[in-house]
Amino acid sequence: MGVLGKREWDFLFRVAERVVPEVARLEPDDLGRFRAIVEEALAERPPALQRQFRLFLAVVRYAPAARYLVPFDWLDQTRQDAVLAWFQDCPVGLIRKGFWGLKSLVFMGYYGRAEVGVAIGYRPDPRGNERLRVAR
Amino acid sequence: MIEKELDVVIIGSGAGGGAVASALGPLAAAGARIAVLEWGPKLREHEFTGQELEMARRLYFDRGGMLTRDLGMTLAFGRGYGGSTVVYTGTSLTVPPRVIVKWNVPGLDSEDVLRRSEKVLEQNNVHLLDEALLNDNNRLFRDGCRRLGWAVEQFPINVKGCQGAGLCNLGCPNAAKQGTNRVQLPAAERQGVKVVANCRVERVEERGCVATVVPSPLGEPSAWEPGEYRIRAKAVVVCAGAVNSPALLLRSKLPVALPALGLYFTAHPALILVAQHARAITNHQGHPKSFYCDQFARTDRFLLETCMYFPFTTAKSLAGFGAEHSKLMSGMDRLQMILVLALDDARPENRVTIGSRGEPVVDYSLSERVLDSLHEAMKASARIFFAAGAERVHAPAGQRFLIESSERDRLDELIPRSGVKPGKVPIAAAHLMGGCRMGSSLTDSVTDCWGQVHGLPWLYVADASLFPGCAEINPYVTIMALADRVAERVAASLEKN
Repeated sequence: MGVLGKREWDFLFRVAERVVPEVARLEPDDLGRFRAIVEEALAERPPALQRQFRLFLAVVRYAPAARYLVPFDWLDQTRQDAVLAWFQDCPVGLIRKGFWGLKSLVFMGYYGRAEVGVAIGYRPDPRGNERLRVAR
Repeated sequence: MIEKELDVVIIGSGAGGGAVASALGPLAAAGARIAVLEWGPKLREHEFTGQELEMARRLYFDRGGMLTRDLGMTLAFGRGYGGSTVVYTGTSLTVPPRVIVKWNVPGLDSEDVLRRSEKVLEQNNVHLLDEALLNDNNRLFRDGCRRLGWAVEQFPINVKGCQGAGLCNLGCPNAAKQGTNRVQLPAAERQGVKVVANCRVERVEERGCVATVVPSPLGEPSAWEPGEYRIRAKAVVVCAGAVNSPALLLRSKLPVALPALGLYFTAHPALILVAQHARAITNHQGHPKSFYCDQFARTDRFLLETCMYFPFTTAKSLAGFGAEHSKLMSGMDRLQMILVLALDDARPENRVTIGSRGEPVVDYSLSERVLDSLHEAMKASARIFFAAGAERVHAPAGQRFLIESSERDRLDELIPRSGVKPGKVPIAAAHLMGGCRMGSSLTDSVTDCWGQVHGLPWLYVADASLFPGCAEINPYVTIMALADRVAERVAASLEKN
């Protein structure tokens, strides 16, 4: 049993698709690697932080009901984005920090995969100085 | 419990521990029993893979993302043979004399620190990179500053045979960076100092410590077999860094009261700022950090430096998410980056404590003054980006995700102070200082000006935790200079006894 249960993972993927739209187009193997990266990072955190994270996921899921009368999953994408933007800019500092933690995990799962680097123009080279000379 | 009898035990192998080990090398050569206990592994060369997540896990505590208690800032500090010197960029500045004066430690003068700093620069092959090896990311920063008429200087760096991999913060894969893992520790080992990797010190005891060596799947085998050790030594030198040194001493229940232990932690709270150019630039090729701008160090209390980071680190440093975030990330070869460092004041409420399991917990509240500095720094950086020809700039406190170059005259309006909200604006720190500060009084310091803990003539501290205030520059040279002082005092005390 990992840090997150199946329902929490399903919801995290829902949020991840809004944070990094490319997540929605990941193949199953890539999604598995995304999940493994996030799972490993979560597992290394102290239990109290893991609990806080699960609680925060639940807040993101159900807080929209206060305004829209339905949880996050039921909203259309525009409203989901509006909800996440509200969390990011929330007057309550702890909420903003929680959202930063959530989106950082998503970024880790997506951009932490080496093959993504090449696709987005991240091309370090152990012999970078030679490439500099060629570029001149 | 395995018993060990030593003359000196050094806890930590980074800038502080490496410098102490090196300075005490001649004593080891003369027969003194000296060991360096290092928490992390001694990686083999092929284990420096340059892969972001993999190396963060291997070389940093908490993967470089230890959170402060209020979750408002992440702290990056290294572990492993060489400590944080394995993961810095090798920028080698000596501390400005005015900083030493401001520290106001009786018995510590800037001439002595500068003299020892010069020795470090010499040891570490510090020099300026040739113009031909400066990449576009660095040149654009320099040119932008010059167009604005702002002071810009080139960083001296400590590399030998640099190939420009651009991976300094993930451990140089070409063994070029002259950290303590390449210079001071091997020199000390050649003289008989033992370096014990994978060794976590649980607590300091009267003239000794208790430590555990754990098996590790990575790196070379530890010099000591796995197991629990009780080490007796005539002198104990704590060099575990500004987070772990105070935490170690706090959980050690020392026989003296040290009311200032853990207090006055400073960190140079930092932002990574990003701009997009119309075309690809050389940014990940070549050394990542060649220039800095201290135009605003005294007035607005911030420094600007060039930097270049990796996909995940870059992504999490941007405020925002979704399509616009992905679009900016999708062209990393067009990105220019600037690192902002706020020069924070030492305040007693910013401190290291320990949790229920003895683990370090850092309380750090971002003062209004620091947030003001970060705000001014965002606007100054945007001006540099635009002066360098960037098409658009991302300011985390901005009203919009991107500011276009056509809007460059509206930066005060588009980057409001009210947007500088911790959490929304991702703040990180890697220059961790204070917690065992030097001084003369028990009430506001932990050690004297030679790093000896007040009231305990066998216990010393030799790392950035000694700093009474922030260094206002990248700190490693100053750490090594102070550690050299501490080593001199340790050697003198051994000879006396």
